[in-house]
Amino acid sequence: MWEHRCKIAVSGVGFSRVTRSAELPLAAHALEAVKGAVEDSGLTMADIDGLATYPELPATGHVVIDGVTIVSVNCMMAMLKLPNLAWHVQVETVNIGGAVQQAVNALLAGVCKYAVVWRAMHNPKGTYQNLPGTFAQGPTQFTAPYGFGGPGQGMAVAYTRWLERHGQSREKMATLALTQRRHTHMNPHAYFYKQPLTREDYLNSRMVAYPFCLYDCDIPVQGAVAIVLTTADRARDLRPRPAYIAGYGQRLAFEVAGRIGSLSSYMEGGRSSSRLTWERSGFSPKDVDVAQIYDGFSASVIYGLESYGFCKEGEALDFIQDGRIELDGELPLNTFGGSLGTGRIHGLWHIIEGALQASGRAGERQVKDVKVSFVGASAPIVQGTTFIFVNEPY
Amino acid sequence: MTMSDWSKVTRPIPVPNEWTKPFWDAAKRGVLALQRCQACKHFQHPPYATCVRCMGTELAFEPISGKGTIYAYTIMYHAGDKRFASAVPYASIIVEPDDAPGALMAANLLDAPYTEAKVGRRVEVVFEPLNDDITLPQFRLTHAAS
Repeated sequence: MWEHRCKIAVSGVGFSRVTRSAELPLAAHALEAVKGAVEDSGLTMADIDGLATYPELPATGHVVIDGVTIVSVNCMMAMLKLPNLAWHVQVETVNIGGAVQQAVNALLAGVCKYAVVWRAMHNPKGTYQNLPGTFAQGPTQFTAPYGFGGPGQGMAVAYTRWLERHGQSREKMATLALTQRRHTHMNPHAYFYKQPLTREDYLNSRMVAYPFCLYDCDIPVQGAVAIVLTTADRARDLRPRPAYIAGYGQRLAFEVAGRIGSLSSYMEGGRSSSRLTWERSGFSPKDVDVAQIYDGFSASVIYGLESYGFCKEGEALDFIQDGRIELDGELPLNTFGGSLGTGRIHGLWHIIEGALQASGRAGERQVKDVKVSFVGASAPIVQGTTFIFVNEPY
Repeated sequence: MTMSDWSKVTRPIPVPNEWTKPFWDAAKRGVLALQRCQACKHFQHPPYATCVRCMGTELAFEPISGKGTIYAYTIMYHAGDKRFASAVPYASIIVEPDDAPGALMAANLLDAPYTEAKVGRRVEVVFEPLNDDITLPQFRLTHAAS
């Protein structure tokens, strides 16, 4: 087990307003979320001495403008002018989960006391994915000429392989979309808050990239979320009940750029990341009381459930049936609605919900008696990052 | 079931670089050639600086048979790229060549309704010239008779 088990905790969390596409500069969303997280902890900006983010703009083919389409550490510091800043980083790989893990490491190293991590997501007006123009350079030369564009199609091809190898049917995924939408009704920060979805809506919805229909894809939005991390002893003196980090793992499924569709790579990214988390935390899938698994596209949940060890390969679409992933089920899943409910905010929302469930702060959607709360914060192949939060430092 | 209409599609044109030029040069000659490690004989695609299996640095392009199976596929309904709008719905497939397991290649399924794309079906390479310089390897179903 990890010698630093439960020595770092998530304290406050914060949210910005969410709009369908950009109305305000993205920096305004990020600032609102960061202020909210600091206030939730009962801290002031003078206390914050660490900053971390993953600023990547997921919409492809758009210009990067700091403060408008991304929010870098530089942009945040220019707004906050923290008098006591002592550490900062912005990561390029392992997604926002990697930024959180770097903040954990900085706190363990004693180079900062209270770190804020945010994720700000831009949705440009107009076309989201601008594909290569007349010419396809670099890795896209092997994909774009065939009409392969954004990550959705890369996910879709792996999903057909999964479905046909295991003799499964995509209609079963309706249960995930519906269950998560019901959870969304208890999350006022979610884009689809209180907007109903029926099984008929799912089954009759238009195809985007078979096997993905509209409701298998998270909706791009403009918004931001943020958290405060600190050491366990400091966290206990703050207003919110801490969510202790029992372990984490990160691992890329290393792939040559431009190679797409490998189902085995999805599975290996998830297996290797979660193995580190299980070993460090001392827990196993059967100990988990509630799970958040990244769902930018619905099939990521399948790869997650199977590669993290919650069920066997080929069984995930059966596993999610019969109320198993409801709030009172065997494994309550994506209890905040997931990205399918909140809109495309990426994995920091999953991390926030994992922490809120562990600290008993999830309100109306709180799962009873949560001790061990699991988070898979990104699609396994892209950048596998996993966490375990606990309600007491066991 | 109707075929996808590719006649009005303007595909983005691949730009060869130092690693990928032999692939496109071969395709122009009507040959499917993939990068192969000369030490461990592993085929890989897309081309890379080193062998992803043994870290060998001596790599060369060698012809393969052009026969393989559909490893995975998607049917595109959403024309995010308007240049492909006239072809939707169309099948984008991932082919695993017989001679090069794991060297997954993207393509479209040509000369068949998109509903014929299924995991495990047999395919063979065909070549689609885009202009005087670039010819695109594509795949069609292999019929038992051939």
